[in-house]
Amino acid sequence: MNSLIKLEITRALRNRKFLFFSVIYPSALFLLIAGSADSTTEVDGTGLSLPTFYMVSMASFGALTAVLMGNSERIAKERESGWVRQLRLTTLPGRGYVLAKTASAAVISLPSIVIVFIVAAAVKDVRLDAWQWAVLTLVIWAGSLVFAALGVAIGYLASGDAVRPITMIVYFGLSMLGGLWLPTTTFPDWLQSIANWLPTHAYAALGQSIELGDAPHAQDIPILAVSFVLFAGGAAWLYRKDTPPVPEGPGGTPKA
Amino acid sequence: MDRMTTTAAPTTSVVAFESVTKTYGGVRAVDGLTLDLHPGETVALLGPNGAGKSTTLDLLLGLKRPDSGAVRVFGGGPREAIVGGRVGAMLQSGGLMDEVTVGELVRLACDLHPKPFRPTDVLARAGVSQLADRKVNKLSGGQEQRVRFALATAGDSDLIVLDEPTTGMDVSARQAFWATMREQADQGRTVLFATHYLEEADAIADRVLVLHRGRLLADGTAAEIKAKAGARRIAFDLESADGEIDEAPLRALPFLTTLDVSGHTVRIQSTDADATVHALYGLGVYPRNLEVAGLGLEQAFVAITAAEEAKQR
Repeated sequence: MNSLIKLEITRALRNRKFLFFSVIYPSALFLLIAGSADSTTEVDGTGLSLPTFYMVSMASFGALTAVLMGNSERIAKERESGWVRQLRLTTLPGRGYVLAKTASAAVISLPSIVIVFIVAAAVKDVRLDAWQWAVLTLVIWAGSLVFAALGVAIGYLASGDAVRPITMIVYFGLSMLGGLWLPTTTFPDWLQSIANWLPTHAYAALGQSIELGDAPHAQDIPILAVSFVLFAGGAAWLYRKDTPPVPEGPGGTPKA
Repeated sequence: MDRMTTTAAPTTSVVAFESVTKTYGGVRAVDGLTLDLHPGETVALLGPNGAGKSTTLDLLLGLKRPDSGAVRVFGGGPREAIVGGRVGAMLQSGGLMDEVTVGELVRLACDLHPKPFRPTDVLARAGVSQLADRKVNKLSGGQEQRVRFALATAGDSDLIVLDEPTTGMDVSARQAFWATMREQADQGRTVLFATHYLEEADAIADRVLVLHRGRLLADGTAAEIKAKAGARRIAFDLESADGEIDEAPLRALPFLTTLDVSGHTVRIQSTDADATVHALYGLGVYPRNLEVAGLGLEQAFVAITAAEEAKQR
């Protein structure tokens, strides 16, 4: 399976468009939003300066892009083209394909997080304690697995022309409503009460509480955990529907 | 059905199907199929589109499960045979991972095989060495088929399964590919390939299985099948005084398999057109606009089916 993971990573690193959108674009967006703000501007109701707030938002956004955009469309495409079937004729275990996809997404999402941090620290003087940097990186990276599972689920749910619009709606919906682009505190009340339950909101909120040095909000970890279970469960169910179980011995009942 | 009764001991057969049936939404794609493949054979699975060839191969490779009956590969389940590295396969719909090079893809296939060959050798044998640095999505149809073949032969498998391997190739590419396939057989491997070209079966296979509507219609050498499929279609017009054509003497013509009379026009299928036409003149009738034409493979299958059914009656 390692060789498939290696090849998936090689391929992802070769795709310039994908690298731009998942690795460079979040940092560029960060500079665009936080560029003119000085480090004393606070984001209302968060207790964080604008650059600090957006650093987590954009790192989360970049990780989301890396794990969601690449996989869903690729899985749908490769299911259709028959590559997934061809792989089933190798010694690769059934789950190997999905695991390789997830692993390669995780490899791309790490630089997209770290580059936002480096840009924020270098250009906008964001300063955190060493433990905060470490935990922040780890939490955002690990949290991206929730959305990697969602990407796999969409890849097995949608096919053909439908996969791109569905991915886009989910991606922009989760990014915007979850407050990755604009703080949810700027939303009308009714929208805020929806946004507070989205996994992307919990994802960014978790990072922001680390920046504040606070304990996470009571609902954030459960929301992420439940989302992960839902998405991974959905992905597993759709995967099994797509891939009939391999007969262990000779199929059916042999004649006597 | 010449060799259908041949039953080898399950341990010596490479592939054994026992009354395998697979139905999709009421259509029997594979209908009570029983067959045995022996070590070292090169076998063509011949049939028109929709005959059940791909379904048969999917069942053989464990991509589909039979509704009833048993599929054994080297005496066990298909998946065991694949995990054991005993089967290499190329699917008709076997898409490739794109944005990687041919060399990288073949290396992956070698890495995934328990008894791998060296990637450079695999590339050379499939005739794609010069494409090693080419991106997979920049290949022509024929080149793609060769890369698929490379994936199927990445390791020392005992059975090579190829589903319509020459699709998308022109005549000369097809013939070059046949030589590549023969090499595999010459190394003692069992080769099973699906095709709808009788010519292809004739060129490579030492045994041909004819599949039609999910059933095994014929099993024999290419020459035997060619003789069976060599049926011809005879058409002519007959004039008669009362406008009615008497079918009885026509039906009694030798080598006739089907008879269709509509108005003045008579259409006959025959396994020996020369003899049938000779006997036709012997009836004392005067056929006009006589035409004799070869049947396409698909019609030949229908002719064989009709002949088989007539025999059973």
